[in-house]
Amino acid sequence: MAKGFFTDTSICIGCKACEVACKSWNQLPDDGFVFTGNSYDNTGHLGASTWRHVSFVEREAPSGDGISWLLLSDVCKHCRRAACLEACPTGAIVRTGFDSVFIQPDVCNGCGYCVAACPFGVVDRREDDGRAWKCTLCYDRLQDGMEPACAKACPTDSIRFGDLDELQRIARARVEALHAQGVEEARLYGVDQPGTEGLNAFFLLLDEPEVYNLPPDPVAPAKQAAATWASVAAGALCLGALALGAALWGARGGEG
Amino acid sequence: MGSNMAECHPVGFRWVMEAKKRGAKIIHVDPRFTRTSAMASLHVPIRPGSDIAFLGGLIRYVIENERYFAEYVRAFTNAATLIDEGFRDTEDLDGLFQGWNEEEGRYDLSTWQYEGVVGVVPAAGHKELVAEPGAGRSRPAARKAIAAATDPTLQHPRCVFQILRRHFARYTPEMVESICGTPQALFLQVAEALCENSGRERTSAFCYSVGWTQHSVGVQYIRAAAILQLLLGNVGRPGGGILALRGHASIQGSTDIPTLYDLLPGYLPMPHADHARTLDEYVRNNQSGSGWWSEFPKYVVSLLKAWYGDAATKENDFGFAWLPRLTGDHSHFVTVTDMAAGRVKGYFVMGQNPVVGSPHGSLQRKGLRSAEWVVVRDLALTETATFWYEGPEFESGELRPEDVRTEVFFFPAAAHTEKAGSFTNTQRLLQWREAAVAPPGDARSELWFVYHLGRLLKGLYADSNDPRDEGFRALTWSYSTEGPHDEPRAEEVLAEINGWRVADRSPVGSFRELRADGSTAAGCWIYSGVYEDGVNRAARRKPAREQSWVAPEWGWAWPANRRLLYNRASADPTGRPWSERKAYVWWDEAQRRWVGYDTPDFLEDRPPDYRPPPDAEGLATIGGDAPFLMQADGKGWLFAPSGLIDGPLPTHYEPQESPIRNPLYGQQCNPARQVFRRRDNPYHRAFADPRYPCVLTTFRLTEHHTAGGMSRWLSWLAELQPQLFCEVSPELAREAGLRNGGWATVRTARGAIDCRVLVTRRIPALRVGGRAIHQVALPYHWGWVGRVRGDATNDLLSFVADPNVHIMEAKALTCSIEPGRSRDRRRAATTRLAPPLHDAAPASRDLPGVGQRVSQPSQEPGEGVPHG
Amino acid sequence: MRSDGRNLAPDRAVLAGEGAQQRVRDPGAAFPVPQRLFDPELPRERGGRPTYHGLPLLKEPVWLPTIAVYFYAGGVSGCSAALAAAIDLAGGAALERLGARVRWLAVAGGIASTAILVHDLGRPTRFLHMLRVFRPTSPMSVGAWLLAGFGGAATAAAILGPRRLPGRLAAWSAGLLGLPLATYTAALVANTAVPVWQESRRALPLLFAASAASGTASLLQLLDLDRREARAVRVLAIGGKAAELVCGRAVEREAGRVERVARPLHRGASGALWKAAKILTAASLALDLAPVRGHGPRRAAGALGTLASLALRFSVFTQGRASARDPRAVSAQQRASGR
Repeated sequence: MAKGFFTDTSICIGCKACEVACKSWNQLPDDGFVFTGNSYDNTGHLGASTWRHVSFVEREAPSGDGISWLLLSDVCKHCRRAACLEACPTGAIVRTGFDSVFIQPDVCNGCGYCVAACPFGVVDRREDDGRAWKCTLCYDRLQDGMEPACAKACPTDSIRFGDLDELQRIARARVEALHAQGVEEARLYGVDQPGTEGLNAFFLLLDEPEVYNLPPDPVAPAKQAAATWASVAAGALCLGALALGAALWGARGGEG
Repeated sequence: MGSNMAECHPVGFRWVMEAKKRGAKIIHVDPRFTRTSAMASLHVPIRPGSDIAFLGGLIRYVIENERYFAEYVRAFTNAATLIDEGFRDTEDLDGLFQGWNEEEGRYDLSTWQYEGVVGVVPAAGHKELVAEPGAGRSRPAARKAIAAATDPTLQHPRCVFQILRRHFARYTPEMVESICGTPQALFLQVAEALCENSGRERTSAFCYSVGWTQHSVGVQYIRAAAILQLLLGNVGRPGGGILALRGHASIQGSTDIPTLYDLLPGYLPMPHADHARTLDEYVRNNQSGSGWWSEFPKYVVSLLKAWYGDAATKENDFGFAWLPRLTGDHSHFVTVTDMAAGRVKGYFVMGQNPVVGSPHGSLQRKGLRSAEWVVVRDLALTETATFWYEGPEFESGELRPEDVRTEVFFFPAAAHTEKAGSFTNTQRLLQWREAAVAPPGDARSELWFVYHLGRLLKGLYADSNDPRDEGFRALTWSYSTEGPHDEPRAEEVLAEINGWRVADRSPVGSFRELRADGSTAAGCWIYSGVYEDGVNRAARRKPAREQSWVAPEWGWAWPANRRLLYNRASADPTGRPWSERKAYVWWDEAQRRWVGYDTPDFLEDRPPDYRPPPDAEGLATIGGDAPFLMQADGKGWLFAPSGLIDGPLPTHYEPQESPIRNPLYGQQCNPARQVFRRRDNPYHRAFADPRYPCVLTTFRLTEHHTAGGMSRWLSWLAELQPQLFCEVSPELAREAGLRNGGWATVRTARGAIDCRVLVTRRIPALRVGGRAIHQVALPYHWGWVGRVRGDATNDLLSFVADPNVHIMEAKALTCSIEPGRSRDRRRAATTRLAPPLHDAAPASRDLPGVGQRVSQPSQEPGEGVPHG
Repeated sequence: MRSDGRNLAPDRAVLAGEGAQQRVRDPGAAFPVPQRLFDPELPRERGGRPTYHGLPLLKEPVWLPTIAVYFYAGGVSGCSAALAAAIDLAGGAALERLGARVRWLAVAGGIASTAILVHDLGRPTRFLHMLRVFRPTSPMSVGAWLLAGFGGAATAAAILGPRRLPGRLAAWSAGLLGLPLATYTAALVANTAVPVWQESRRALPLLFAASAASGTASLLQLLDLDRREARAVRVLAIGGKAAELVCGRAVEREAGRVERVARPLHRGASGALWKAAKILTAASLALDLAPVRGHGPRRAAGALGTLASLALRFSVFTQGRASARDPRAVSAQQRASGR
């Protein structure tokens, strides 16, 4: 039974309880004290030791009347077609029985390929540790029948955890309700996303994905790899032909 | 208003979000657009320090447009009551009420009284310092309050309603725009929303926090909201009322079982040396002849029995003589200035960090340096613990640690997970906590510390014959202890607070069972019932889905597990709910009692049609149609004849430091405000000080907690907000040359601090009095101890306070801002004055003849001469 | 002294959290975004697709710059082995010396490649984990197996020599494996989220193949070659370098379908390296085509060609970093119609 997150940014109060609960539960280190000047976001992005990150975007209200503040709790998307999993050469990245994507730290050898493959910029490698890390969807908690720490801590239930199809049902209803209230910009992100075949951790956004540092139409690279491999084969063949040609030409060169 | 609830009470805010989901409209009135505003349906900008003008504007709107809930106002408020003939309003006296006594520097309240009624005792007794008529000098008015003259038509020029109308007549939408900087259209939107959502079928609630209280007119802000909510009929009704969001965890408990100098547990007044020589005198001067407060003697006697046990007998006034007495103002600022003058020898600072958390850090530190010994109890060393070797004065070279003579003791404190006890938070809810682990090393709980300190002191005084030590020897101090550290059993303390019958120590079930004859003991009458039948009700955690929507079985709320106060007002005078939709508590004719979803806030069996006979006494004076039973007349007070030092009605006064002249009155500021005229407490000019052109306001972030002592050590919080920063608008940044992400220096006459710069549109300039006023906003969570460090914002503040409750003015002052870090670092006001101004006599904050009673050293009773 | 950032007293805490296993020397080093991006003096680009405070959307590839050397070494190694096999098949006795040289070149390249890859791992001692699974969706997995097989075969081929069947079989195996070894690295970079790599994924493998040939040939051109060897090498050189120029152009066109995506090819260090590679390749090719004889010009061509091949790989590598850092490249690529 696929589990996931529905993060409803329309009720996020930007309190960062999710960031702290995640670090606290998983016993992650802080990753530096940096004043960024980027609204209230002094975390920057997801990283090897930051598995929940709250984004802050101050902008003109869409109605043109005043300002609004977009707040979003970002997390690993646990894509249904996961680029990191497909990229991992050691088999460290696996899919769990909850349909989440999990990196086994005792297998990972830090090749870093998942880092380049992730279309959301989620997974990262810690240089002093050497391995790649990301949100585990609180795999340890799930196995004991508990919900992830961030969902538990969220005071407004902006982060909801549960069965994916149930969450999607709730999310669709929520978008409809918001549209009815005149919030036209509300949209779901990650439910119908062909490139990743859908995200287990999907979102309700109030603006375009780029505003939140999300890619508008991400794709798991392996989905479009056919042409690449075809090129690899063609290149290899041509190279082989060239090598053969060189050998032949060199061998014949004695006479003339 | 006056609250940033989503950021400062995020868990409580989930209920606001729940309401929003069900269609409630959320309006956030705040100088800044915050994370609360992001969730609100409407954000309304307002200049810090002008909320009374805004609320007054709403009151005027409600009255002039006749949008008040007429039946409620007539039946349940003192709108119809006539006021003394001699009363003059601020409209008549250019900002003063009748009765300002020049010599004493305070108001005489006699003309504020109900016609023909002298000495109405306010709810919970007189504040001893008020010296109101009836407080310590004459007898209370007894039951006359309930028979005060009224005009039910509300037309009489001296009835409260008309006085109210005249008082706020000039608070028009135009005036609101001019004073508050709030566009009229927005203001009217708020007014309409409020009116549309009040009445029989709908109610509106106000939530406030220190954005309202931390002003020199703070209490009057609350009063203004109370008047508005009474006019709209929102008080005592579900979804209505005024929610006081307290400043931090269990501070509600800190005022209930108080750490405040002027209160005894349960908001009983602290006895004053002049007005409470005997128990009888004390009771006479504080008891009300009518209303619930007539019960007051039972509570004070039970308290004395709890404290002195068998040693307290009728013969010795139940040990009343052993209680300490007030001789004057012993509030925080006065204590600090006394310390600075060498008059306070020792100081216990427990779980508080005044060097960062209280205003005017340099004066705080000066005070600490002048004490002989200071004891600090906290989780880790705080700035208050390290004042003797760390801080701006040492960094600048002004002082060396060798120069500080104070002996400082530091005791590590147990964290909340390491000790048992209760939290009493906003909403008056007591929630019990168990200790999850034992505290590490030498860390101990407050209970342990105070208990063993008391035990040791009792031991030292055991053989003393000095009458002064009798109280110590008589004190009951027998809690059993457990564990390797002899931790007192917290539940025993709770049981004592709850109260018992002295004969058999059986717990009382409510304060109704308390007696004035010494047969009961109760540590805090409002908490009586929390331990009913020996069950710790504060520990109850029945999930919401298993009980009614009022959820009475989660924790325990004082008093009597009543979740909504004055809920009798949710029913009309005949006892029927104002509407089915808003039914809460009502009279059940069949059972002949009040029933409903909550504990009725009324005498259970008092029928709605009961009217007190002329000779009624005590509780019998409470009519069946008088829901506000803590008041002597059982009515909600639109006009407060007593209980407040600075006026019966809220009036717009400018903060001590303002950008503009008060457009309404010649009296610029609250005439009764508490000021400290000292060289080391310099104020800016009354208004438009050219050296400090910006409005400064302070705020809090979700990521940190108060003075940062807990949050700046935790790296997971420290990384979320690592540095002190100021918020400025793009316009101010351009004008002042500030860059986003750069540094700035913010200055007042008290000091200068360095901070990073966050340029944001969320803190716009406001058009006030025809010109644009810039705002600078600073969070106050930083100090120089911790994983992340910064300057202490409160170093910029001065000592100036609300006169009723001595709360500092921290939310509205003026400042200057410039780019870069201060070269001229931290010139502490204690050693150098602010740059002088060279023009003619600056404008004053007060009308001629108005000089404040300047608070005096605690050892010298009587009124004061201003300090040099 | 900076703690490990976990707020846990070691004598009281049970370190059972998933993140507790992270080895932490300096918490601040793992800040998720390069800190220089918060410099208030940094110029901010206005206009265009919205971004999140101008911050990168993707993570930059974490590989060391030596990975570019791996691309080169893998290409040379694979092509060398292919050439060795070709020589074994069709080269005859005349090219025997050349065959031996390239056989050893293949081995050397293989060793260098392995060393570079192992060094680039976050946990080098776990390099064998690469062979725990075979995952065809992952070019790195394919490459790991290729390199493992190739390494064995090439070493066997070099040691056993061309005279007997086992050695010859080894050489043919190495040659067969070497062909994809030389080109798969393009798939490695193209199968990522990096816009410029992803966008040019059809042309890059061809470019890498060409560069493998030209790189190998250029290295060989630095050696003493007799006339026949020189002829063989010249075919490889001219074919490879010409193809490199053509395929380079193809990459520019493919990436340039979205202007923003192709920026790293034209700007910054990556753009400079790309241009340098083109110029060096052209110069090397010109020398190859010029009617001049002797070791001097040939060696010059070899030197230029080697530099060119290296420059090309470094350009591709730095392009990736620059492209990953550019959030507008991601959105432009994904919003462009007809992917």
